[in-house]
Amino acid sequence: MTHKTIVHLVDDTNAGGVTRMLDYIQTAPGMAEIGQHEVLVVQRGRFSAPDVTADTIVSHLSVSWRNLPMLIALRARYAGQTLIHVEHSYTEVFTASHVRNQRRFKALLRTAYSLFDHVVAVSEAQGNWMLQRTLVRAEALKVIPSCVDLAPFLELEPVYGRPRIIGAIGRFDAQKGFDILIEAFRATSNPDLRLRLIGDGADRALLEALAEGDSRISFAGYQADPAAAMATLDAVAMPSRWEAYGLVALEARAAGRPLLVSPVDGLKDHAAQGARVVSGGTLESWQASLEQLAAIGPAMHIETARARAAARASMGATQSLWKELLSSSDATSEDALPAAA
Amino acid sequence: MPTASIVVPAYNVADTLPATLDSLLKQTFRDFEILLVDDGSTDNTLRIAEGFGDPRLRIISQANRGLAGARNTGIHAARGAFIGLCDSDDLWHPAKLARHVSHLRSRPDVGVSYSGSAMIDGAGQPLGLSQRPRLRSVTAAHIFRRNPVGNGSAAVIRRAALDSVAWRPTGEYRRNWWFDETFRQSEDIEFWLRMALTTDWRFEGVTGDLTLYRINSGGLSASVARQYDAWQHMVDKLTPLAPAFFAQHAGAAQSYQLRYLCRRAISDGDAETAATLARQALDASLRPLWEEPVKSSVTLAAAVTLNLLGASRFANLRAVLRGSSTAA
Repeated sequence: MTHKTIVHLVDDTNAGGVTRMLDYIQTAPGMAEIGQHEVLVVQRGRFSAPDVTADTIVSHLSVSWRNLPMLIALRARYAGQTLIHVEHSYTEVFTASHVRNQRRFKALLRTAYSLFDHVVAVSEAQGNWMLQRTLVRAEALKVIPSCVDLAPFLELEPVYGRPRIIGAIGRFDAQKGFDILIEAFRATSNPDLRLRLIGDGADRALLEALAEGDSRISFAGYQADPAAAMATLDAVAMPSRWEAYGLVALEARAAGRPLLVSPVDGLKDHAAQGARVVSGGTLESWQASLEQLAAIGPAMHIETARARAAARASMGATQSLWKELLSSSDATSEDALPAAA
Repeated sequence: MPTASIVVPAYNVADTLPATLDSLLKQTFRDFEILLVDDGSTDNTLRIAEGFGDPRLRIISQANRGLAGARNTGIHAARGAFIGLCDSDDLWHPAKLARHVSHLRSRPDVGVSYSGSAMIDGAGQPLGLSQRPRLRSVTAAHIFRRNPVGNGSAAVIRRAALDSVAWRPTGEYRRNWWFDETFRQSEDIEFWLRMALTTDWRFEGVTGDLTLYRINSGGLSASVARQYDAWQHMVDKLTPLAPAFFAQHAGAAQSYQLRYLCRRAISDGDAETAATLARQALDASLRPLWEEPVKSSVTLAAAVTLNLLGASRFANLRAVLRGSSTAA
């Protein structure tokens, strides 16, 4: 195999899903087999394409009207190279809840995606949404679930007993829905249950105020080692309002932790692989699910074990899907040339 | 498999059901099925439906579950890619289904296609009044304030859009829920708003009064308090889904809801309730006054006049005014 250079473009270097996935791409042995991966940070909103020497350019950039000139310049300047875009942000529920002018927004997405030879959706649910709303042509779409190194999570002893400490991990932001979780947890009556919130963010004071007076709820702050944080939990709850994929769900599954998710966007992928769905999004439904979780039986253990096996398999799957996409791009780049010119 | 399904929930509607089914069976778009869900009727509803004998009419009987429960059963059994809802006292214009099917086919990102409605009275006679809602660029805030879908017989919904809000509550083993069966009122607005807040399917209307919506007068304002409670319960239920949205829009929407209830109280000649509701509407938000100044001030003026004149003289005045405006 020829040694290819693959350059990944990012404009957001905050700790989060994009950064963690890029770490994984750069360090996973399976990814190194495909070629040499380089990460290039570009300034958001620049008008020209960055200088890149690469066989393949993978954009992890945010699609916005501001970034559109750069994306167009990228296509024009690297007309002969394969261009791939990975959509880390936009989902159905994000669009429903944040976009005022949906027609204009979808026109933006269609325009931006049409510049790329391939568009990668990070979950089946996100990919279905893109297809159903005709945001991307079917032959250009590829679904590759995001991944991180799951080895430290797979080493943890799975939890098949009755969970006592329920955890929530992530940025303290409206997206994660931790406010729902705290309120629903407060309504549960089991004195042995604990809720541990791991993370930090703008909504910290708000969440602390919601938890005030219930000594079962604690805040553990940001933890640099996610596997160590996971080890302290018996179960994980993800009441997210939207989620392109949800790496925490993947980690919880790999760690063999019973997992509750709201059935939105990418979290539906995890539900299909053993996570338990809390539907309706209401406080009552979360309260009932938390109480059920504490009275867990064999059925849930089977789901937890299934979720873990599927998570173990997903590391290999993500690598082989990327390998397939990046090696097939030799052939498609020739076809892409006339279309782009 | 039919292209479209029309779900007709039916509970003790022997008087109005024949006209409803006639209007549906006369649709110019012919590739459809009707799912009539007899929701535990104690009158002749079931026998009348069975008497139609049209192969496109499928009848399902269930123990009473309420409007939402009857619609859910119909949606569960429906096989079409487009699903219309028609209450069993309303009528559809013959072209209605054709218009909505072509609308949904030509716009793949529209999930809910609706139309305006012409009002008819208990005898099926036109009242000369219409619901002419906003048709384009509809946002969740529009739905919350002034639900453009308007009534339970106005919309045809894409199956995929319906299924994006389906769920299976604990203790329900037979089928999914689309409408929330714990609601006995405000189940429509709860459903539309939940769809608008959690999916990006677009709501869009087609022109024309394609639904004939039956207004039954009398006895409405007795349920005002219950209606308002149900509406408030809907707000409480959905707030966790989008707290920022509700913080921004709840005041204005509440004011519109109170204005709507106030108009119903005025129609019923209930002066005291109308006055209270008018005051509460103004307290909740002044937005309706500058967003819809004519309708809002007419409502306020009517509430005041009703209180000054009393119910019977007010009704006379209204009849005179309506007569002259029709003539004009």
